[in-house]
Amino acid sequence: MRRMKRNKFKKKQKSSFAKLSMFQRTSGNFNKPCPLSVKNAPIIDYKNVPLLKKYVSERGKILPSRITFVSQKKQRELSKAIKRARILALL
Amino acid sequence: MNCYEHTLIIRQDTSDKQQKEVISKYEDIINKNSGKLIKTEKWGPLNFSTPIKKNKKGFYIHFKFESDGQTIKKLEDLERIDNLLIKFLTVKVKKFDLEKNYFEQKSKQN
Repeated sequence: MRRMKRNKFKKKQKSSFAKLSMFQRTSGNFNKPCPLSVKNAPIIDYKNVPLLKKYVSERGKILPSRITFVSQKKQRELSKAIKRARILALL
Repeated sequence: MNCYEHTLIIRQDTSDKQQKEVISKYEDIINKNSGKLIKTEKWGPLNFSTPIKKNKKGFYIHFKFESDGQTIKKLEDLERIDNLLIKFLTVKVKKFDLEKNYFEQKSKQN
């Protein structure tokens, strides 16, 4: 009798996890690698205006890293470079 | 000794002679005050993205040099008084990249 009960319990657990999987992220789409820390990636610099324009919206705002998938370290460098380019009116 | 990058914006309505004088003037200041000029770049006249002090265009000049911090104080004090300049920016760098010049390629293509 005890074994039977255990088996029933296990089956119930599996079914509850199956429901949870609806809310978990699919691994493919949400873990994109950072485009600026790959090999042969472009150098972040305030003089490199065509690169900086990719990470700026139409109104000139800096895009958040959750949209562009830039890593935290590179995002800090990017924001500094964009602000320097703004001072010189290049952006 | 630190590595610095320094950019100037000269007014557009200045003549070529005045621009040359401005460049030679600030090159001398760097060299006299225990500095080492490595490179000067002329980016040429560029359009501003936003008007600065009612100007729409400016002539960009870029210095790369090694010096102490005190020479930059002297440089910037003189530049604030200068009427021919619109703006300037100094940036401290760990290493110079002398290979790439982003603004020369543009002028050749156009």
